[in-house]
Amino acid sequence: MTPDGLRALLERQVLLLDGGMGSLLMTVGLERGRAPEWWNLERPDRVEAAHRGYVEAGSDLVHTNTFGASPPKLQTAGLGGRCREVVAAAVALARNACGPSRLVAGDMGPTGLLLPPVGQASIEEFASAFREQAEALAGAGADLISIETMYDLREALAAVEAARETGLAVLASMTFEARKRGFFTIMGDPLADSLAALAGAGADAVGCNCSVTSSVMVGMVAEARRSVSARLVAQPNAGQPRVTPGGTSYDASPEEFARDLAAIVAAGASLVGGCCGTSPEFIRCARAALDAVVAR
Amino acid sequence: MTVTSEVLAALNRAVLEGDDQTVVGLVRRALDAGLAPLETIEQGLVPGIRRAGELWEEGEYFLPELVGSAQAMKAAMDVLQPALARHGGARALGRVVIGTVHGDIHDIGKTLVGTLLAANGFSVSDEGADVPAERFVARARQLDADLVCASALLTTTMAGQRELVEALRGAGLRARVMVGGAPTSPEWAREIGAHGYADNAVAAVAVARRLVVSDP
Repeated sequence: MTPDGLRALLERQVLLLDGGMGSLLMTVGLERGRAPEWWNLERPDRVEAAHRGYVEAGSDLVHTNTFGASPPKLQTAGLGGRCREVVAAAVALARNACGPSRLVAGDMGPTGLLLPPVGQASIEEFASAFREQAEALAGAGADLISIETMYDLREALAAVEAARETGLAVLASMTFEARKRGFFTIMGDPLADSLAALAGAGADAVGCNCSVTSSVMVGMVAEARRSVSARLVAQPNAGQPRVTPGGTSYDASPEEFARDLAAIVAAGASLVGGCCGTSPEFIRCARAALDAVVAR
Repeated sequence: MTVTSEVLAALNRAVLEGDDQTVVGLVRRALDAGLAPLETIEQGLVPGIRRAGELWEEGEYFLPELVGSAQAMKAAMDVLQPALARHGGARALGRVVIGTVHGDIHDIGKTLVGTLLAANGFSVSDEGADVPAERFVARARQLDADLVCASALLTTTMAGQRELVEALRGAGLRARVMVGGAPTSPEWAREIGAHGYADNAVAAVAVARRLVVSDP
């Protein structure tokens, strides 16, 4: 899908995205410490079933299981040199579950490398890593590219640039927290400036995901709407993580989450979905809440 | 203002600003002016790094600023180390073994905690990421560690912290255990029998101080 194609689609409708993938795979047996990308090769049935769960719940778009499939991240996961293979498998699984009428977004997350002063990575490393991943996603047939959970604007911009070279439409989302003077990434990138920079670099929709609950994200989207004119994407977590003897759970109910997602759309977002802790049940509730808004 | 108090004030400022070149120059000036290495650390460096930690907690500083201050502190300590040795050495606050638990390759938070602990006067042995409990135990025994710090960033790897607490206890070592990482909590730390929990690197320094001081 070209940038023009996405623009035309968003003129007509709000897109409901999918929910979390890694946290969902853990509930069906992904072992501790195992990168979710392994399952594209080892347990394709479970990955495809996760996608299918979201499609059946009403997602208009699903993300491929490639959040950590940049070459440096695959290296640390024990999948070094296998970017193209992992990505091709992941795109095929998403496509199988989606059919032709839903969109497959090629997911790109941070490389895990850090720029100075915190780390020693270079912009060039980011550029070549994201180029390889974006080309693999486009080559395997992804409809668009979705960049998520970025915390350093410089890395996010490198990802947008690489993604744009594919000619596909690009979503770019960073992860912000509420701090004393507003919403910032952990590196200190402020919300409004960051989103403006991503839009300026050519991302077709910009926004925020992860880190915060859906109720906090309502405020983030409202601030983003005031400061940038680009289409907005928002994917909050399922509330706050809570640790129990059985593992971590998130404290928001699907109903609360769905109410907030409708408020996020009212605040100006065009693409909404879920991040960590969300499941097909959250997306099913969100679908009902969004459809109710449209019907009114 | 005397020359030495001027140098110390400038040092604190340079640490706070993460200006390691200025810090190194000022440390040399302090030593040339006859300041004792320990005094330079306690009055010229520690207030600066503590203030950086406070600014982080207040939401004024972000990761780059905090790391900058820790690196300036480290650069100063590299210059002071030989002088300290000549003065009969300074006892480290405590010996710390730190790492991310087995199966977990997240390095950033743990490295930051290690850097800040070292900047605040602990002797730190950073074992990296994906560290099996046996290696934590072996290093803690070898160094006679006061404190073992274990990070876990995944709900799927946090059980490694429980294994670690049990392995240290099984080995009969005296080291206290501090845990941290996104999915962990004070409740989790209590449940697995860890002695301390911190939800960020600055808090970790305060908890480490308390654990080491209260060490029987």
